[in-house]
Amino acid sequence: MPPIASPDRRVVVTGLGVVSPIGVGVDAFWRNALAGRSGVTALPAFDGLPLDGYRSQVAAQVLDFDPVRLPAGVAAERIDRYAQFALVATREALDDAALRPERENPYRVGVIMGAGMGGMMFGEEEFLKLYRGLRPGRVHPNLIPMVTLNSASGIIAIAFGAKGVNQTISTACSSSAHAIGQALNCIRSGQADVVIAGGADASLTPLTFAGFCSLRALSTSFNATPARASRPFDRARDGFVMGEGAATLVLESLAHARRRKARIYAEVAGYAATSESHHMVVPKEDGTEMAMTMRLALRDAGIQAAGIDHINAHATSTPIGDPVEITAIRRLFRTRADRILINATKSMIGHTLGAAGALGAVTCVLALGTGLVHPTVNYDDPDPACELGGISREVQERPLRAALLNAFGFGSNNAVVVFRKPPTAVRRRR
Amino acid sequence: MNPELDVAALTRAALAARLKRDVDAIRIQDDLRNDLGLDSLDMIELLFKIEEVFDLEIPNEDLVQIATVGDVIAYVERRLAAKAAAPAPMPSPATAASTSPAPKRAGRRPPARLKAASKRAPAKKKRT
Repeated sequence: MPPIASPDRRVVVTGLGVVSPIGVGVDAFWRNALAGRSGVTALPAFDGLPLDGYRSQVAAQVLDFDPVRLPAGVAAERIDRYAQFALVATREALDDAALRPERENPYRVGVIMGAGMGGMMFGEEEFLKLYRGLRPGRVHPNLIPMVTLNSASGIIAIAFGAKGVNQTISTACSSSAHAIGQALNCIRSGQADVVIAGGADASLTPLTFAGFCSLRALSTSFNATPARASRPFDRARDGFVMGEGAATLVLESLAHARRRKARIYAEVAGYAATSESHHMVVPKEDGTEMAMTMRLALRDAGIQAAGIDHINAHATSTPIGDPVEITAIRRLFRTRADRILINATKSMIGHTLGAAGALGAVTCVLALGTGLVHPTVNYDDPDPACELGGISREVQERPLRAALLNAFGFGSNNAVVVFRKPPTAVRRRR
Repeated sequence: MNPELDVAALTRAALAARLKRDVDAIRIQDDLRNDLGLDSLDMIELLFKIEEVFDLEIPNEDLVQIATVGDVIAYVERRLAAKAAAPAPMPSPATAASTSPAPKRAGRRPPARLKAASKRAPAKKKRT
């Protein structure tokens, strides 16, 4: 195996694609993120269900999604909404990278996607039809291919001719951070030259949403003012806001990117995956496990803690989770913790579950390229339990050397990805 | 409140069933987290049961009022009394949104009863 500093083992990001509640397309997403626009609105009426039976009545929906943007030859009605999101984000990322899989050795191009819930939209509709109509023979023949969790990674490979490694990672809220990390390891190990990595979820559905309500995980105090509901680190936060979306990053070896003279956004420098081995839905309160995951990711990247200038926090806006993450950051970075610029993308787009890590990764990559860290909206009254000097409701600008992406998921699992500014970073997109 | 509902017995029975302990081992003064060892998910599951048994909706804002077994009982009794006093229930502004009449409430079942509660708390009176 080549040494870790070899261009064959270094991995860079060369393309980005986004479907989000604050914009379809990276340009719209980034513009709105810098402007601090909230994508959280009132929950749509679920067919026949009393809306007031839902404790939380706000959500971050992708309201302007048009399946017409799907690649030619893909039948929209045959894939679930979440996979449609993934396809649209991936097409943008491949265009952005100017990568044509058909010009590559197809067995050297892989796809690793994250999905938390998968094809819930269609799955719930068919379930309802079955129990209402009591006609098992009328369950749609496409149910199974649509609800399987790897339907997004599968359709991406089919649509774009990627014949290499094809996997789906499902670790709830951290799925797509792990997808990016596994893509890094896949290229490092020599299994692929290019990996299309990201994640998608679209599970704003009657059953799934009710489940999160019953878990008392969602915000309930801001039903009348949806844009204020997602407020990581703020004293009035009272739960997360469910969102939907997708993001895709094109990862390739530095050698491959140089060979084809690709524009390089950032380097994916390191990754760590751990289990807290603690509790299904609650993180270990002293932050030791999250701190350890960040430490292991830094070690993997060969970067000192002093080299980190920015953290895209997991920060879902729950009373329990946010302070644990800040405690972990303090534990690891000590006196430097207040000087790291920290933001929470979920303050604008809610928690997009399987897409959250990948959407956070896109903001990390753009922050490294532009020096701009998007605001954390609704950070009006800092909670002393999760206050740090580098959290702001304004855009912050500073040259950034390296950034961490934090993602912590149900099932007691943690992921941290380290991004580093490449030697010749290109400034693009304000 | 409904005099036929023995809130204390039902609550202790629900806890006993959840914790797989004898009802007598559940004391009024026990702290749910520190004495009985409930974690946050256990708490949510317990409240889910309590909501079903007493036909209540407990908003997140009210959770701070509940630390001990006695707190649960007092809270439920207070809410049931408020419900009995006001046929269109408006127990607190915080719960107003979640208890306003829903279009499909007509078919709503009467308060369910825990299987475990009916087995383990024979002393309680029958409800209509």
